[in-house]
Amino acid sequence: MFTQLVWLVPLFPLLGFVINALGFGKWSKTSASIIGIGSVLLSFVSVIFLFMEYSGSGQAQTIKLFDWIVAGDLRIGFSFLVDALTLNMLLIITGIGLLIHIYSSGYMHHDEGFGKFFAYLNLFMFSMLILVLGSNFVMMFIGWEGVGLCSYLLIGYWFKNREYTAAANKAFIMNRIGDLGFLLGIFLIYLHFGSVEYQDVFSSASFFSAGDAAIVAITLLLFVGAMGKSAQIPLYTWLPDAMAGPTPVSALIHAATMVTAGIYMIVRSNVLFSLAPVTLEIILIIGVATAMISAIIALTQNDIKKVLAYSTVSQLGYMFAALGVQAYSTAMFHVTTHAFFKALLFLGAGSVIHAMSGEQNMRFMGGLKKKLPLTYFTMLIGTLAITGFPLLSGFFSKDEILLSVMSHNRIMFILLVITSVLSATYMLRLLFMTFFGQFRGTHEQEHHLHESPPVMTYPLIILAFLSVTGGILGLPHITGVHHVLSDFLQPIFINNTRILPHTPELIAEVAVWILSIATLAVVGHFTYRAYALAETDKHPDISKKSVWYRLSYNKFYVDEIYEKGIVRPVLAISSVLHRWFDQFFIDGIVNGAGQVALLLASILRTVQTGNIGLYVIIMVAGIALTLFIVVFKFLSI
Amino acid sequence: MNVLLTLSIAATLALFFGVLRLKNLATPVIVIGLLASLVFNAMEWNNTTSIFNDMMLYNNFTVAFASVGLFITLILVLFYSELSAKHEFHLPEILAIMLFGTVGGIVLLSFRNMVMLFLGIEILSLSYYVLAGIRKQNVYSNEASLKYFLMGAFSSGFLLMGIALIYGVTASLNLNEIAGYVNNAKGIVPPYFLVGVLLILSALLFKVAAAPFHFWTPDVYDGAPTLITALMSSVGKLYSFGAFVLLFNSCFIPLIADWEVILWIAALLSMSVGNITALYQKSVKRMLAYSSIAHAGYMLLALVGINNLTSGSVLFYALAYALASVVSFVVLYIVRDKKGSYDIASFNGLAQKNRMLAVVFTISMLSLTGIPLTAGFFGKFYIFNSALQSGYYWLTAFAVINSFIGAYYYLKPVVAMFASKSDEEITMPALSNSLLILLGILIILIGALPGFISGVI
Repeated sequence: MFTQLVWLVPLFPLLGFVINALGFGKWSKTSASIIGIGSVLLSFVSVIFLFMEYSGSGQAQTIKLFDWIVAGDLRIGFSFLVDALTLNMLLIITGIGLLIHIYSSGYMHHDEGFGKFFAYLNLFMFSMLILVLGSNFVMMFIGWEGVGLCSYLLIGYWFKNREYTAAANKAFIMNRIGDLGFLLGIFLIYLHFGSVEYQDVFSSASFFSAGDAAIVAITLLLFVGAMGKSAQIPLYTWLPDAMAGPTPVSALIHAATMVTAGIYMIVRSNVLFSLAPVTLEIILIIGVATAMISAIIALTQNDIKKVLAYSTVSQLGYMFAALGVQAYSTAMFHVTTHAFFKALLFLGAGSVIHAMSGEQNMRFMGGLKKKLPLTYFTMLIGTLAITGFPLLSGFFSKDEILLSVMSHNRIMFILLVITSVLSATYMLRLLFMTFFGQFRGTHEQEHHLHESPPVMTYPLIILAFLSVTGGILGLPHITGVHHVLSDFLQPIFINNTRILPHTPELIAEVAVWILSIATLAVVGHFTYRAYALAETDKHPDISKKSVWYRLSYNKFYVDEIYEKGIVRPVLAISSVLHRWFDQFFIDGIVNGAGQVALLLASILRTVQTGNIGLYVIIMVAGIALTLFIVVFKFLSI
Repeated sequence: MNVLLTLSIAATLALFFGVLRLKNLATPVIVIGLLASLVFNAMEWNNTTSIFNDMMLYNNFTVAFASVGLFITLILVLFYSELSAKHEFHLPEILAIMLFGTVGGIVLLSFRNMVMLFLGIEILSLSYYVLAGIRKQNVYSNEASLKYFLMGAFSSGFLLMGIALIYGVTASLNLNEIAGYVNNAKGIVPPYFLVGVLLILSALLFKVAAAPFHFWTPDVYDGAPTLITALMSSVGKLYSFGAFVLLFNSCFIPLIADWEVILWIAALLSMSVGNITALYQKSVKRMLAYSSIAHAGYMLLALVGINNLTSGSVLFYALAYALASVVSFVVLYIVRDKKGSYDIASFNGLAQKNRMLAVVFTISMLSLTGIPLTAGFFGKFYIFNSALQSGYYWLTAFAVINSFIGAYYYLKPVVAMFASKSDEEITMPALSNSLLILLGILIILIGALPGFISGVI
């Protein structure tokens, strides 16, 4: 019943966007934030209703509003699909979205473009909801492009700063590469399945055998799309730069929701991916490589948001590793818990930055524990959750990934374990450098230090609560309790006959637990000594550090390699083409055509004399000609 | 039937109010009449009714085309009574004649008999002859009216001659019987019959302002009052094309080999003459007049390869064109009212002085050009798609090239609006302002969600 009204869910944020976009600059900040937050609240409430109705019936429903594009045999409906996967994403998007909207009303309070900010955020919510609600690939693509646009707008939100706009451009262009792959994937899907509706595509996928070339091509192209949006090697460098946007944006778009769109897309098309073992293997390798490399880079970064950004890239790598071994619901589990603790960490970092009057370099922080007790406490929970502290949410989801990978590929498993040691290291380093030791900032900053207002701390507390308890969604097999999320998501694998249910051995499960607890203890000990007890150097001399340190600090020079190897050559080629091909050849043709047209025009318009006698003669001549043509044809037959 | 009655009664009432000097009542009566006919019209959906012993047939095709016609007329009536009222002594009569024209138009969308075709065309045309010359003191308006009438009289003669020839061969004026005759003939008909078809075709080409029967168009569109030009170019074209599709779809498809050559020559000529001559115009009004010839050419493209997509794509195109054309002529009217000239230079600096006006005008120009996300894009898309389905590849390619040429002149006033400066304030009355915004939103909305319209018939 309520599911029929599913269109309300994206409609509210859209209305919020329209109202705020039309009114910005004129209305007070209070009304802008009420509209912005209220629309997301309404949307969240609608999602709760949807969820309750779905839990009652367990019936996935497609609601078609109207035919959107009709051209020949191609019929693309504007229709929504409400099923377990969609609801999982909807709850994350609207729930966390709501908290972040509330937080933003405090964080952005001093900003001039307050209304504009909320308008963009609402537009993002709308696009993201369309992305997960659509019942076909084209709808997903529309949402996909929409969130890309909003991401671009919000990264470059402080557009007067040239570096920030450059970061926005970088994000946009890198995503275009991925989008092209996605688009080609959709074309291929239409070519081979004759439809872009999920239902048609997935139900007829069983006609293809595993490893079919068409399916491999489709899944590889879709994965290219996912690479761009979810920041995987080689298209990951935009995400750390995207930290130029306001911190709530980083929390919402670049940690909790948009960057998980790639994972959503692959889980949604799990039937296709399971038919392409080659693609799965590639996803696994790229996921693990991304997780590891970005964790290494995160070890030496000093900007608090950069560390979190590389950590996000690394965690996304974990999720892709899970996808690579067909552990789809495990990936969704990690998407969910990661949304909790990474949003928490970003918002906490935002609270720190807010208190430090905009300072983001951790080398100038330190000792904030006493001044920001609430922020410290919640950040501590977030850090423990991400490092896999026992019984917190990250512990369960990460170990589940490790277990799934272990049964599939031992080498990848070992690499992931090493990565988890690295993640524990950089996260604890962040925590200790920020909150422990002596304050290293200026005197003014110290004077200004203050805990954030309640609108900012309450979302932190709620997220901290979720980070602690989120693990309930997926208690491990050993406890004998049902895996709630996995059971919930079961219906979306109905067409997929190739997933093998695997129950991990007890011994493996316990071994992984002990391993993660032990590494955490060791890492905790060393990082505490290195960053909390020892004095942090404010201006370290990088050139004196080891090669490995410098490689990590300089992000493996990937940006420089892209700049020299791709950007410069492309610019050089395009400047040559511009000069010779475009200006000389194309412009020549275009201008020539224009000249000819103008010449013709000057002749034609002389016929229009205004003399009605002439008009009648031409008209009669026209009819005579008409008759002549046909009669001639008639006679010649 | 209810629609025709409502329109006629409302128009007659308005005429009475004019005589009794109760002018203020005229506009409400007309508006209520139009709203009521929109409702009556919608009630006929999926409810095919035959009127006057098969003289007319009101079906979904009629309802769809008539809804667009009535809606656009309503919008224009509202514009006219708000913008022109102060210049106008004969407002009730003008609005009444607009409604009588609509009656003719609806007859054209529902005729099942050649007599009704003739009657419809005459009712429509006679209204337009009068409306074109409504500015009695203005020489250009008089000239437009007279020229239109003279040329129109010629084309009516051809139409009647064509109908007579067809009657001579088939001994019937009923479309179903004519269609039966054509189907039985299996493509072999006497030459008289073909000549009759071609004469009717020529007359209809004249009505839709297609080359080489277009010569009246620039002079009449240019000379007539601007809002009347908007009426003629938007709904006038819609009705004529509706009649075109109706007649050829129901009777002459088996003879397609004999008349399609004429149609594609006309399409080709209309597109080139319209677009190329428009390039040279300094006056925006004259430019739009020529461009309307080009748009007739595009729409003929859908008729050339007549198939089951034709009526849907013609309807979509006519709607898209009507919306954009009404917006552009109304903005032109306002600009000219202020600056006293139709020149492109009058548009200088409009974006500074009235941002909303500039934005809406830009949307309408983009739609006329056929830029994606406007109604005009999907209008062209469906037309070209329909032509491609029938195998007219190079003709479609030619049309695409033509729409590039269109971009050149449509963007000229847009550039002027945004690039130059001006210090004259331009204000808008409230109702017209919101109507323009509504039309702008509609153009975008139809461009974003074309499925709403294209799936209708």
